[in-house]
Amino acid sequence: MSSDQAIREVVYRTCTALDAEDFDAFMDLCAPDLDYRVTAFSPEIRKEMTWLDQDYDGMRALLDMVPQHLKRLGTLKRHVSIYFMEDDASAKTAAITSSFIVTHTDPEGRSQLFVAGTYFDEVDYSGDRPLLKKRKAHLETRDLGIGSHIPI
Amino acid sequence: MAARRFADRDNPPDLNPRDYVSGEVYRDAGLFQAELDQVLGKVWHFACHESEIAGAGDYRTFQHATQPLFVIRGEDGALRCFFNVCSHRGARLLGDVAGTASRLTCFYHLWTYDTCGRCVDIPREEAYATTGVEKSTLGLREVRTATRSGLVFVTLDDAAPPLDEFLGDSLEIFDDVFGDPSVEYEVFHFHRGTVEANWKAWQETIVDLYHEFMHVVLRTTQMTAAPMTERDMRTYPGGHLAIGGLKADYHNYKAYGAREDSKAFPGLTVDDARFTPLFPDTTIITRGTVMRIDTVTPIDAHRTVVESRGLGIKGEPEADRRMRMQHHNDYWGPFGRNVPEDAFAAEACEKAFGSGAARYQIIARDEEGQGQDDLMLRAYYKAWSDMTGHPSHNPKNQ
Amino acid sequence: MTARNAESWRTLPEIPETHVVSGAVYTDPTIFADEKKRVFERCWHLACHESELANPFDFRTFDYVGTPLIAIRGRDGVIRTFMNVCSHRGAKIIHEPAGNAERLTCFYHLWSYDDRGACVDIPRPEAYQSAGLTKDDCGLFEIRTETYLGLVFINLDDQAPAVTEYIGEALAPFEASLGSGELEVFHYNRSVLHANWKAWQETNLDLYHEWMHVLLRRTQMTAASMDNRVVKAFKNGHTMGGGLKAAYDKYKGMASRDSDMALPGLTPDDFFFVDLWPNAALLARGTAIRIDVVTPIDEKTMLVEWRGLGRKGDSPEVRRTRMKHHNQYWGPLGRNVPEDAFAAEACEAGFRNGAAVYQVLAREENGKGQDDGMMRTWYAEWARRMERSPADPLRSAAAE
Repeated sequence: MSSDQAIREVVYRTCTALDAEDFDAFMDLCAPDLDYRVTAFSPEIRKEMTWLDQDYDGMRALLDMVPQHLKRLGTLKRHVSIYFMEDDASAKTAAITSSFIVTHTDPEGRSQLFVAGTYFDEVDYSGDRPLLKKRKAHLETRDLGIGSHIPI
Repeated sequence: MAARRFADRDNPPDLNPRDYVSGEVYRDAGLFQAELDQVLGKVWHFACHESEIAGAGDYRTFQHATQPLFVIRGEDGALRCFFNVCSHRGARLLGDVAGTASRLTCFYHLWTYDTCGRCVDIPREEAYATTGVEKSTLGLREVRTATRSGLVFVTLDDAAPPLDEFLGDSLEIFDDVFGDPSVEYEVFHFHRGTVEANWKAWQETIVDLYHEFMHVVLRTTQMTAAPMTERDMRTYPGGHLAIGGLKADYHNYKAYGAREDSKAFPGLTVDDARFTPLFPDTTIITRGTVMRIDTVTPIDAHRTVVESRGLGIKGEPEADRRMRMQHHNDYWGPFGRNVPEDAFAAEACEKAFGSGAARYQIIARDEEGQGQDDLMLRAYYKAWSDMTGHPSHNPKNQ
Repeated sequence: MTARNAESWRTLPEIPETHVVSGAVYTDPTIFADEKKRVFERCWHLACHESELANPFDFRTFDYVGTPLIAIRGRDGVIRTFMNVCSHRGAKIIHEPAGNAERLTCFYHLWSYDDRGACVDIPRPEAYQSAGLTKDDCGLFEIRTETYLGLVFINLDDQAPAVTEYIGEALAPFEASLGSGELEVFHYNRSVLHANWKAWQETNLDLYHEWMHVLLRRTQMTAASMDNRVVKAFKNGHTMGGGLKAAYDKYKGMASRDSDMALPGLTPDDFFFVDLWPNAALLARGTAIRIDVVTPIDEKTMLVEWRGLGRKGDSPEVRRTRMKHHNQYWGPLGRNVPEDAFAAEACEAGFRNGAAVYQVLAREENGKGQDDGMMRTWYAEWARRMERSPADPLRSAAAE
């Protein structure tokens, strides 16, 4: 696999891992200095908000606890399209901008759009494989209904 | 100059009853039913343009007063309209929006009808022998149909007066446009949209000249193109209306190019703008090189389907057609500069009238028939009041 | 000890009438119509926080049970609320949720209003001369608005008593924090949930459902003795739950909260909350305050709005941590609020078509532990205003 494809696959695999609720696989894609945030802008208070904010240990702990929570029924499916990739060859990081949507399918099989947004990612390829170092998942959708225990 | 007390919102405005309309006309279930029965159920309603059903067997399906209908051109060349419903088990007969068929066969049990609505085939018919049910009594429900100037109208009222009597002189400002025998029109644009508003709120955006202030295209191209005192507003028996004497100067709106008079429809120059709102739900509008026909039909009191057609000249050169499509859609298409703003307006009124928060609207402008007089809105609601039997300023007699 | 049949399922248990609520309160349309009149058109409603209207001409728009409203801070500093509806043709005037405008101009015909709700401009007004209509007749409809402890309340009832009289002492525990004038909203979120609005408010009144939240099982249920809990009931149905502690570090990945970051008058490990009747909840967890407000859209749909408050002038680092504290509990991706939303919708699924007939609010622990007293107080006020018994709300007055 080309190194370019390996870098892109970090973005894709974060989505497939979260879809499958395979949190070990997800954490395996994350760099030790992970900075993962989910944000949204409120036109009501005219401010940007951060709805999820975790470093590596925090994310690990959060995901470990998820199975014990009372979760919304049904499954989520993420669809991501990478738009732009900018390489910083000296730092060995790639800045990737992607558009994503997440659909929710209920236990009876009906699907609806859950969330749409943009990922602003930084993938660090300085080690033996590329890892997600930083993500800002900026949501367009703000009415999340019940909400979600699993990060977007 | 002060705010008003919230408790006072129930009080009607201190105006002549003809100068205001109660919000109940947009939301009351009883009034909606009265509209279906006494207004939409009685008028002649524009169904389509004859060019859409040009050949034998051509049909178009549509909805009117919540009834599913279709018009079809018979083998004999005549246009007929029927309820789009099989006589057997009530299933919808034609599923697509348009098509061609000499035989109309229901998917369910394959009962078949011809283009005159006669039932011509019932599979294994012998089983009906003992009950005496037979094809000859099982035709489709026909709806009266008539055409004028290529416009196909239908009425659910078997006792309605003839179409010509219904229309009277209301199409007179289009006499030049439709009157040239060498010019045949056809539909090159069709789009429909669902608007979260009462059907009358859309019609009002056409009948209300004062809202030129809302549209930047009209502020720039129409409001000052000709003196307000040259406007020609006409009312006709039955609530039809017409506006002539409007001019438009497209140079004033950035992104509109020059237009050539040679491409305008017969009798028009490129700067002409004429409107004929036919009561209660259809409007024909021309802007020189283009002509639009809108109809609205309610899904319920709070949701409406708007159908919008654009007409061109049959057989015109491709360059002309392309120009016409561009002019039409610049203004009136779903990505146009004008129509999306009217949808916004209709929905904005629904937000307050739909729940009953707003109680009244004011239609009191009087400019002696000139400028932005509200006389057309008043004429519209007078006709509405006459036909429903409920005065629009106090329809629930409170 | 057997399962029940149709008849026994529908029979109310033999417990006091005040300890049972019929499902009809969630489903019956005439009760809902009654609630709109007797509750939502009579009681003070928490519309927003004053920090959302910090400057003159700042406005916020919102829909209050079908009525579009706009709150605007006048040039004189006073916050007023008006129907956000043009006096001309009934169009909603301002469509943005927030902004700043000296003039409120309707898109339709450009009628304009000022910050006092007066109509100040009508284009080409001479046409109204013969009808005798002038701008003076066309002001916006004004709604009673009063601010208390930085909270902006509205009331559709011009005759209602002052909000301070309505609330009484109920917000005393928040005086130091909300009353400091130092707070601002840093989080706002809204959701439409598919359940009767009361099912949400109940999640704020019911301590017993600590069992549902793994977060509270870990950090709250054993952080202090159940006997330390204090519940108070106030006139007009408000309630307070206090004496609760939080051991945040008992939930994996969470840390104890820093007392440096505590808001004025709050301590980092204490948790208390006040539920204002009928539809607001204010909760304090040391470093952040949550306010939620629920309004009905119809009898089976509601709008919930959540706000998080911090300190004006928080440094970016402090604000980031405060936001994290708030959102790990109370955000839409938090560990707690999504579960409450789940609960409300699950109860709707039970009651909607009559499968569930009534609910039981019968826990008595002398106001300690997980007593159902707060919910009973809430329904007692509902009974008083609605003139109906929650246990049998469709019983006609004549039959009594």
